[in-house]
Amino acid sequence: MIHVVATNITSPLGFTTEENYQAILSGRTALHRYEGLWGLPEPFAASLFSEEQRAMLAIEGYTFFEALAIRSIRTALTYTSLGNSLSRIVLILSTTKGNIEALGEELYYPSKAAQRIAEAIGLTTKPIVVCNACVSGLSAQLLADRLLSANLYDYAIVVGAEVQSKFIVSGFQALKAVSEEPCRPFDIERNGLNLGEAAATIVFARTSDKESWQLTHGAVRNDAYHIVSPSPQGDGLTNAINAVMEGRDKSLLATVCVHGTATLYNDQMESKAIERANLSDIPLSALKGYYGHTMGAAGVLETILTMIATDDGIILPSKGFTEPGVSGKVSISSEPRKTSKRAFLKLMSGFGGCNVAAIYEKTTDNELQTTNKTTLVKAHTIRISSEEGLTLTDIYKQQIGNYPKFYKMDLLTRLAFVATELLLKDGQWSMVNGQLPVIFFNHSSSVVADRMYFDTIRDAENYFPSPSVFVYTLPNITTGEVAIRHHLCGETSFYILPDKDEALMKQILEASIARTGTPTAISGWVDAESETCFECELSVYNII
Amino acid sequence: MEQLINDLKLQIKEALNLEELSLEEFDENAPLFGDEGIGLDSIDVLEIIVLLEKNYGIRLANPKDGRAIFQSVKTIAEYVQANRKK
Repeated sequence: MIHVVATNITSPLGFTTEENYQAILSGRTALHRYEGLWGLPEPFAASLFSEEQRAMLAIEGYTFFEALAIRSIRTALTYTSLGNSLSRIVLILSTTKGNIEALGEELYYPSKAAQRIAEAIGLTTKPIVVCNACVSGLSAQLLADRLLSANLYDYAIVVGAEVQSKFIVSGFQALKAVSEEPCRPFDIERNGLNLGEAAATIVFARTSDKESWQLTHGAVRNDAYHIVSPSPQGDGLTNAINAVMEGRDKSLLATVCVHGTATLYNDQMESKAIERANLSDIPLSALKGYYGHTMGAAGVLETILTMIATDDGIILPSKGFTEPGVSGKVSISSEPRKTSKRAFLKLMSGFGGCNVAAIYEKTTDNELQTTNKTTLVKAHTIRISSEEGLTLTDIYKQQIGNYPKFYKMDLLTRLAFVATELLLKDGQWSMVNGQLPVIFFNHSSSVVADRMYFDTIRDAENYFPSPSVFVYTLPNITTGEVAIRHHLCGETSFYILPDKDEALMKQILEASIARTGTPTAISGWVDAESETCFECELSVYNII
Repeated sequence: MEQLINDLKLQIKEALNLEELSLEEFDENAPLFGDEGIGLDSIDVLEIIVLLEKNYGIRLANPKDGRAIFQSVKTIAEYVQANRKK
């Protein structure tokens, strides 16, 4: 349980939380239709900063992505004082593609951006990047809860940020997921998502002496179904909701703020999960009609808006919705509704099959809760590196075989797949109710797949964006492939660090297991810089 | 037609990384989806759409239109024959 002490939203609708809240209350949307932008042959609707706004937000010496995050954090920090113990403050950056425009340069690496942002705001601790596809913004808040509850830090600055580009929009277009018009979450006419850019910050504290919003419980569950398509019955999301609602009174919930991307499959899946979790009568709010899908920022941005609206006694209207177009029973409206309740449930689902549910409550209950120290030991470890001279295909052919999907995977995923196969080969580890968490770390994000995908869009004469390559430009797909292969329906998470800091990795893992309560986990380092430079060290951990 | 079918098999095998499927085993009448046949999934369909545009100049904006076309290599070949721009 951690406390919200300050927030900021910096988006095309405004540069403060209040400006954003007022904008959407008055029914504004940041979504516009673009034609021919960035040389893209197909039109799309998106929420983008104007040239004028970009100039206002720019900071000399920083990329626009970094400047956006720095501005958002600085504005949030004007509402609070974090004291002087800099070693007790951690920066958690939630992003899917970060500085993707700097591909080929040192600035590309997400932890580099995180370090530059941390330094700009005066932090001295090592930043952590959460790269868990669409759910990153909630995963980052869950990580904040884990690190603060384990008493490793006093404050966590969670910033979610995303800047749009040809790279991202072309990829989602190749997946036929983008709508040309402003999106229509849960509507019968919905035909895809819109992408958006924004930064959003929540400063969390371990303790608070006044009434505050608290993140009281969160859970991550994998579908173990497909790396892109959600489980049709919403299995992972249902499991995540059930995990956080267990023992809780649903009548206390003001709203369920859904993911609601307005793709056919996502919204349908969410409606099934909500019905299965017995929440059909709780009013939903879907906010993508205002900002589109701001990816790494979305989970943070939508949580903040729901807090502010709930404080104001309002359930936010779901812009773009007119007529129900999902088969699960849900309560959704394009009109604002009133509430006097003080809690809500936030949902996100994403590529890699991951789903997150989190409960927030406004309360004066300030009892300090520290999780029990969990100590893990390595029960079994597999190391694979490019230095050994064997290719991953050699290892697959000699020691694994019979999984043709191997050949579809990118290098990073092959690496994680092969190592996990060898790790779990004797079968004695994967038996923990399928709830075995899979938590991976690296430095290079998905650089190999990013280069491969960029090659398919670089040349206007030979512009054929590859959907199957684009999918692998999210490093957490590795966790999804492993989950599918071994039917693991527990947590899957992917973190990016400046270096292979084993002590920090163990701290994060132990703080996570203290929350998931599972006796075992698969975790370690999975990094691929190129075909000739990769390293993987994965272990099965047991609690002692 | 036979040449086109063979070309398509090769192009599909390459684009979809169907490493363990030999061209001899690749039956043009076998269903492409489901457990009975080749076992392709939704991303494979999208990749075939790219392939058709790249090699034959055919633009298929809505993957839903593809359901009838993408039954087998044979049905794809018939569609390409009738609609190819290059």
